Amino acid sequence: MAKAIKQIRRIEVSEEEKRANDLREIEDALIDNKDALLETLNVVGGMKERGILSLLNGLFGEGDRVLKVLVELLNVPENTAALKNLMLLVGAAGKINVQDLEPLLLKVNAGIENVAEHGEDAKKTGYLDLLRTLKDPEVNRSLTLLITFLKGMGKDTEHEEKVNDKSTPSENRQDI
Amino acid sequence: MQDSIQVVINGKSVAVSKEQSVLQALNENNLDLPSVCYHPSLGAIETCDTCMVEVNGEIVRGCSTNLSNGDNINTTASHVKQAQDIAMDRILYNHELYCTVCDYNNGTCEVHNTVKEMKMNHQSIPFESKPDPVDNSNPWYRYDPDQCILCGRCVEACQDVQVTETLTIDWERERPRVIWDNDVDINESSCVSCGHCSTVCPCNAMMEKGMEGEAGLLTGIQQDTLRPMIELTKNVETGYNSILAISDMESAMRENEIKKTKTVCTYCGVGCSFDIWTKGRDILKVEPQVEAPANGISTCVKGKFGWDYVNSEERLTKPLIREGDTFREAEWDEALKLISSKFAEIKKDHGSNALSFISSSKCTNEESYLMQKLGRSIIGTNNIDNCSRYCQTPATVGLFRTVGHGGDAGSIKDIEMSELVIVIGSNTSESHPVLSTRVKSSHKLHGQKLIVSDLRKHEMAERSDLFIRPSSGTDLVWLSAVTKYIIDQGWADEAFLKDRVNGLDEYIASLEKYTMSYASEVTGIDEAELIQIAEMIHEAKTTVALWAMGVTQHSGGADTSTAISNLLLVTGNYGKPGTGAYPLRGHNNVQGASDFGSMPDKMPGYENVTDEKVRDKYEKAWGTPLPEEVGLNNHEMVEHIHEGKLKAMYLKGEDMGIVDSNINHVHAAFEKLDFFVVQDLFLTKTAEFADVVLPASPSLEKEGTFTNTERRFQRLYQALEPLGDSKPDWQIIMEIANEMGAGWDYSDPSEIMTEAVQLADMFAGVSYERLEGYNSQQWPVAANGTDSPLLFEDEFPFPDGKARLFPVEWTQPLQFDDEYDLHVNNGRLLEHFHEGNMTYKNEGIKSKTPNTFVEVSPELAEERGLTDGTLVRLTSPYGAVKIKCLVTDRVQGKEVYIPLNDTDDAAVNLLTSSKADKDTDTPVYKELKAKMEILKDKGTSPLPKINHRNGNPQPQKGVMVERKWARKDYIFPGDMVTKEAINYGKSH
Repeated sequence: MAKAIKQIRRIEVSEEEKRANDLREIEDALIDNKDALLETLNVVGGMKERGILSLLNGLFGEGDRVLKVLVELLNVPENTAALKNLMLLVGAAGKINVQDLEPLLLKVNAGIENVAEHGEDAKKTGYLDLLRTLKDPEVNRSLTLLITFLKGMGKDTEHEEKVNDKSTPSENRQDI
Repeated sequence: MQDSIQVVINGKSVAVSKEQSVLQALNENNLDLPSVCYHPSLGAIETCDTCMVEVNGEIVRGCSTNLSNGDNINTTASHVKQAQDIAMDRILYNHELYCTVCDYNNGTCEVHNTVKEMKMNHQSIPFESKPDPVDNSNPWYRYDPDQCILCGRCVEACQDVQVTETLTIDWERERPRVIWDNDVDINESSCVSCGHCSTVCPCNAMMEKGMEGEAGLLTGIQQDTLRPMIELTKNVETGYNSILAISDMESAMRENEIKKTKTVCTYCGVGCSFDIWTKGRDILKVEPQVEAPANGISTCVKGKFGWDYVNSEERLTKPLIREGDTFREAEWDEALKLISSKFAEIKKDHGSNALSFISSSKCTNEESYLMQKLGRSIIGTNNIDNCSRYCQTPATVGLFRTVGHGGDAGSIKDIEMSELVIVIGSNTSESHPVLSTRVKSSHKLHGQKLIVSDLRKHEMAERSDLFIRPSSGTDLVWLSAVTKYIIDQGWADEAFLKDRVNGLDEYIASLEKYTMSYASEVTGIDEAELIQIAEMIHEAKTTVALWAMGVTQHSGGADTSTAISNLLLVTGNYGKPGTGAYPLRGHNNVQGASDFGSMPDKMPGYENVTDEKVRDKYEKAWGTPLPEEVGLNNHEMVEHIHEGKLKAMYLKGEDMGIVDSNINHVHAAFEKLDFFVVQDLFLTKTAEFADVVLPASPSLEKEGTFTNTERRFQRLYQALEPLGDSKPDWQIIMEIANEMGAGWDYSDPSEIMTEAVQLADMFAGVSYERLEGYNSQQWPVAANGTDSPLLFEDEFPFPDGKARLFPVEWTQPLQFDDEYDLHVNNGRLLEHFHEGNMTYKNEGIKSKTPNTFVEVSPELAEERGLTDGTLVRLTSPYGAVKIKCLVTDRVQGKEVYIPLNDTDDAAVNLLTSSKADKDTDTPVYKELKAKMEILKDKGTSPLPKINHRNGNPQPQKGVMVERKWARKDYIFPGDMVTKEAINYGKSH
């Protein structure tokens, strides 16, 4: 005769047994990962020395609060603009053709050097001086270069732009 | 090629298949066209306008424009792109892009992917918030109007696929949005929480709550930090390319954390398969797949959201051994040794037949196979059965008599395409929800006709073209009368009968007494309606019959099933697409449990245990002698325990103490057992009687195969590790067998299947490789892997290949004394599975449907003074229940209905008898009468206001995009660019 019963006596794992089991598990993990752990300890030691640990501790301890402050800080107009500029600059840097730029930069450097040397002379330049200097092969080369540059700059590059908020044609606007 | 036409795509001449849209043709040729609202399972919805394309010089929607020979298509012209951009801009005006911190950023967001694909860098119309807040009222999914792009996929799915007809888009308000019923909170609506809307939503507007704050690496951030973070992401964005790249990286990182596993649902016989997303043991969501063979994108509330039980704290995690009046947790070793020694002792003292085995229709094919192998080969008894004895065995017998295979004649697709569906004794939309959607949809959209025969006006009845309510247990009579009328009118399929069917003359003679007037008298149905049924069958080119427990759980259950099959044979409705007999299997593996031999008279593949050749085959393979005589079915087992002949039982995955009939009698039997082993997830009512309870693992924690109602094998993969010390059933059975010296060494379920299919010819070509992923096979499966989606195309599996008409007589249902004046019907509810051991573990389901109730008719309520919440006692000759009333016109007169989801005072099987179908011993659950007394006049309604049955559906076809187009502020993008192009022409 087996009547319906509902009561269950659980296997009681004593605190000591549980502790022993947990310790064994940890021990196994330590041995399995010996090399990685020893190396990690070195890294952690270094972090402790330089105070990074306490910094991280604070960050994780108050994760959501810190994150909120950070996000709010980043979210003020100057900072979003800075972030935006940064991303744009990174994008722009990628587009600069450094190979072609190098000779140009060398020339700019030479120009700067020249100004540094003779900039303080403050000698006036008249119209005739100007025409005369065109004959100077160095000046002529510079001007030709600049004119070529100006030509290129005038080309339509709108289609390549990333920042473009111009169009809000109101007739396109629909509530659907 | 006849099926192809020649068109020009972007200047190149291409051959494409006929009768498809521009979008499909482009996809076929690997050309991209944006298509945000298009979904392969929903077709063209035409709301998003992103698929703008030029055909013969005119800009049109690619999704809804069909191609003709010679068409010229342009997808690359700048004004085409411009039109697409305008459409996408309108979408982004409605959807805030914050992908990196969005839970839906999992690689499948259509908005994200389309922005990327279109190389959009900024939007012309800035996003603007909608006036309504997020609707979080439903337990399982949320709607965020601010993320909703108004594509209407959810509405299409709700109206035309699921056909619950709850969702619409209110196109006329200033900022349109999706609304529920007539604009109420989700939880107050008629929404059945089937999950279709969140499955098809292209973005995060309609999202499963399990995903919220879980899916993303950054999405778990508190709301007050998340909001500034969204603002920040948006402010910093320098064009979408860089933002999308970051979110793509984040999305890729998520894959490391989230595991997606294909599994098969365990809540009914339809066999829905889907991916389940898990993170650790947490279930994030269920993601149905278009390629899932039975269900596609469809699910019901249980399959989509009902998996909480897997992580329930009530799960058993260690074996339990009875000690006095408590169970003691034990280690496996001790439990196995105890079981083995007890089994051996009882076998020695009382013989093999003193032991019995009950397999589960929730477990896998492999587990059913091992259970019967344990019983037959190790113990030496055929006392093995499964719970199909409680439901569909009569249908199987009816089909064996007439057509030779005990399974559905075709696939769900055949039901979907049939011209006429006859539903008999099946509450399909609650018991087989996803299958019913195919009927509801075909009926709503494609002119399919629907006849329903039932006591109760359930949803299928509400939707039917003809609904009859015959007296309980008389279906055989009207079926036979309609068959006779069809033959008398000369409407029988003479050619089919001549070429493919035996026994016509004898059968016609047996029909003589089933005249229309006799049928009308017995069933209470007008002759005119019966004639109408005959006419509808005659007029339909194809007919299918669906039936379930309303037919089988009667004294003449097998005979009525036979009568259905006879009717189909006479009208030639077998062996061609859109025809056949469909006994709807109730549990995920009712079909497979029997297929793999958990039956007292059949080996796997339905070969007789009494056949010496069959036994020889298995004796050689298993290396042990096998019992020769037919064993006990589970109904007989109970009687044999009472008679003292059966001493031990090993039962897995079945709460027999609740779901068998006359459970007082069953409990008394359990108490008499010398040794009782129960294997389950929980300490069920049945397990409370056990001597040893073994903790099993559910479907998500193991591998194997299930066979659905379509005879379809499908694989399930392991999503989670077994909880605690629980184990998959196949492992437990193997360990018991090995403890008894069997020496089995299956290392995984595929090895069990390999052994089984080598022995059972019917499944010869079934293999795990062929079932990989979403692949499936429908038996019989030939050795080369060819399967059989549609049965009987060439012949019936009898020696001469012909079907057999099988004469049957009507059996009068069980009679009760006059004092038992109420007929008690019983069955399932949509949201609970069976007795509710699994579904009551879900807080959402509990909040919407906390307990069972008795449905009483308005007439009876009036007569007895009952209201919603009146507590009554119903008493039958076998027992009594205490239960609350719910007044509804789903039932009429003195007919009441009790859903079977209770394991306590309201369990309907406290009332049912031990009487059974004369041919199969299936209990006559449906032949039950009781008397009523009122215990407490007034009380709260047993059905909360937030139950979907109190909702107010709004039927319409699809999303009604015409209403969007009729808005004053709507201009077709194609028209805008055409105009501009002309302008440009003038000014440039």
